[in-house]
Amino acid sequence: MDPSEVEFVAEKEMVTIIPNFSLDKIYLIGGDLGPFNPGLPVNVPVWLALNLKQRQKCRIVPPEWMDVEKLEEIREQERKEDMFTPMPSSHYMELTKLLLNHASDNIPRADEIRTLVKDIWDTRVAKLRLSADSFISQQEAHAKLDNLTLMEINTSRMFLLDSLDCMYKLRTNLLSRGGAPKGHDY
Amino acid sequence: MFVTDIRKEFYDIVVNQRVALLVSLDVDALCACKVLQALFHCDQVQYTLVPVKGWQDLGTAFLEHKEQFRYFVLINCGANVDLLETLQPEEETIFFICDTHRPVDVVNVYNDTQIKLLIKQDDDLGVPSYDDIFRDDEEEGGDQDSGNESDGSSEPSGKRRRFDEGAIERRIERQRARREWEARRREILFDYEQYEYHGTASAVVLFELAWVMSKDTKDMLWWAIIGLTDQWVHDRITHMKYVTDIAALQRHVSRHNHCNEDEDNSLSIDCMRICFEYDLRLSLYQHWSLYESICNSCYTLSTFKLWSIQGQKKLQEFLADMGLPLKQVRQKFNSMDIAIKENLRDVIEESSNKYGMKDIRIQTFGVHFGFKNKFLATDVVHAAAALLESVEKDESGTDNFIKALDCLSRSNLDQLHRGIELAKKKLMAIQQTVASCICTHLILSQGPFLYCCLMEGTPDVKLFSKPLALTLLCKYLLKSFARSTRNKRCKILPLVMAAPLDVEKGTVIVMGIPPECETSDKKNFFGRAFEKAAESTSSRTLHDNFDMSIIELKMQDRSKFLDALVTLLS
Repeated sequence: MDPSEVEFVAEKEMVTIIPNFSLDKIYLIGGDLGPFNPGLPVNVPVWLALNLKQRQKCRIVPPEWMDVEKLEEIREQERKEDMFTPMPSSHYMELTKLLLNHASDNIPRADEIRTLVKDIWDTRVAKLRLSADSFISQQEAHAKLDNLTLMEINTSRMFLLDSLDCMYKLRTNLLSRGGAPKGHDY
Repeated sequence: MFVTDIRKEFYDIVVNQRVALLVSLDVDALCACKVLQALFHCDQVQYTLVPVKGWQDLGTAFLEHKEQFRYFVLINCGANVDLLETLQPEEETIFFICDTHRPVDVVNVYNDTQIKLLIKQDDDLGVPSYDDIFRDDEEEGGDQDSGNESDGSSEPSGKRRRFDEGAIERRIERQRARREWEARRREILFDYEQYEYHGTASAVVLFELAWVMSKDTKDMLWWAIIGLTDQWVHDRITHMKYVTDIAALQRHVSRHNHCNEDEDNSLSIDCMRICFEYDLRLSLYQHWSLYESICNSCYTLSTFKLWSIQGQKKLQEFLADMGLPLKQVRQKFNSMDIAIKENLRDVIEESSNKYGMKDIRIQTFGVHFGFKNKFLATDVVHAAAALLESVEKDESGTDNFIKALDCLSRSNLDQLHRGIELAKKKLMAIQQTVASCICTHLILSQGPFLYCCLMEGTPDVKLFSKPLALTLLCKYLLKSFARSTRNKRCKILPLVMAAPLDVEKGTVIVMGIPPECETSDKKNFFGRAFEKAAESTSSRTLHDNFDMSIIELKMQDRSKFLDALVTLLS
């Protein structure tokens, strides 16, 4: 999957906005949205929130977890544990990037949040690399990783699959070659 | 007619329609266009953007688009000429004109249906009242009536003759009154249209529209600031007006700054911050070295007389007086010693007072976003103007327009930096041309004005075939000349400048600017003067530019045109 596809999937997440216009309830294929009244918060998908923000028709309220203290706790938690800790949102990386790029004026202490989320991401991806490395070197048959998000899986997906494939080919070649010389030893 | 409520009478009408935007080629128009585009994007209004260079372009663009569009928005063009006469539009076409050119043509002012002027009425317009210039033709009907009566009546001939005499007397009286009225009308119109000047920047007017609709953003405010600064850089408005408009914009700036930073949670560094600066009048000094900037800025160039050896020495003294080592001063500004940069403005102001430069500092605004990007409004004006008129090969007018428009967005910083480089080249070319003109005494006094003609082979003369660059050159030249000449009378003369425009066609571009004076009101009479001179000598001229004081002329007709101008203005 392309990272932009993962971002596209992440845009379905709901976020709270405060519109400055009024509109009746709208009925979309994915569900109902609204009604929109100026000054009253309403939950909408991120794609709509960003579009309205760019047209200056709303103010985005940062999600609860996008807060400096909470993120610091999560980061400490992640650094302590060997396994992956559950993340506040299954698309935390994409949401952070989208919201901080388009609505950083509505999010307090945006620079610190960006740094904290990057730290958390780095820790988790490092753990993923270590785990993939030990999986291959110990030639395990299967592994179970909890609490990974789609974006993190996507970073290693292509490489892991291709390399396992190559290794399988090499191994089968080795085995078949190991068998053939016996046949030719007359 | 003037639009009183710009939101109801302009924006609410076009928001549901497709509009054609016809934009003139100057930085203020670009900024106004950006503000309007941002508003259109928010409300998803369909528009077509057409850059127009002059009246011919305007006519062509109008003809191309008049089938599809009913609403036309004209930015910085169209107010100072009878638009309906020039374009001959249909009955339903409506023009919204946001233009800084004054005086506004009286037909445009008094037309109620098709022409809407987006101009603030507190700009000192001085439009003559309706009755002074327009008059219903009643007396014709009156004459005929009395004629008919006298014809149709069956009264005795004696009475008829007396009636006839009375009618004839009344008619003569009416005709005399009419001739007087027409003479007065001609005088009023002549006074009104004699001088050309400029009003409030279009970008500021459109920003105020956005503000009224509560849709103003910092980006729009920055564009409004650039529009106003463009008027000041190209010497279109008086210093008084500039300061007043800066104060108005300063209120908006503090409102925006206050809105966003009133808690401890300060904004991300990437957000745009506009701040008021009382900064130096040295062009592009933060993107150049201080020494280069001093050598190439109008104010310092003319005060120190840097084209002479004396001037160079004085400059060295000035730098020594401030305690700035030459090595530091010749370095790129960003790499200068921090200790020197900190107090630079105050140090320069103190020293410049000693050398007779009382106004080395000017009120302006600066913007910074991200850690690296800091720009003053004048920097962006120079960059955009240089991009707009870039004479590099393979670049058409429309390409330049789009590039200049792009450089105003925050996301196109490389375009802006390219513009700054081009602007540096332009300023250096201007400085060299000014130096050579003064040293070779190319500026001659023709009596009522000064005249200077750039020859074909002058280096960088292609740059000066464009109106904005030529304006800057004229301004620098006149200022420097006024300082360097000993002749007291010559100091207060206006300047007419000619530069080659197109070698194959043999045309020159001629431009006139008002005299250099501290309290000048920047009113330019050359527009009308050029028209009359061209008419009287039947020279082959093209009055295509929206500024009437810039015309194209065939090279062969140059001398007779000048003679006519001299006789006209003496």
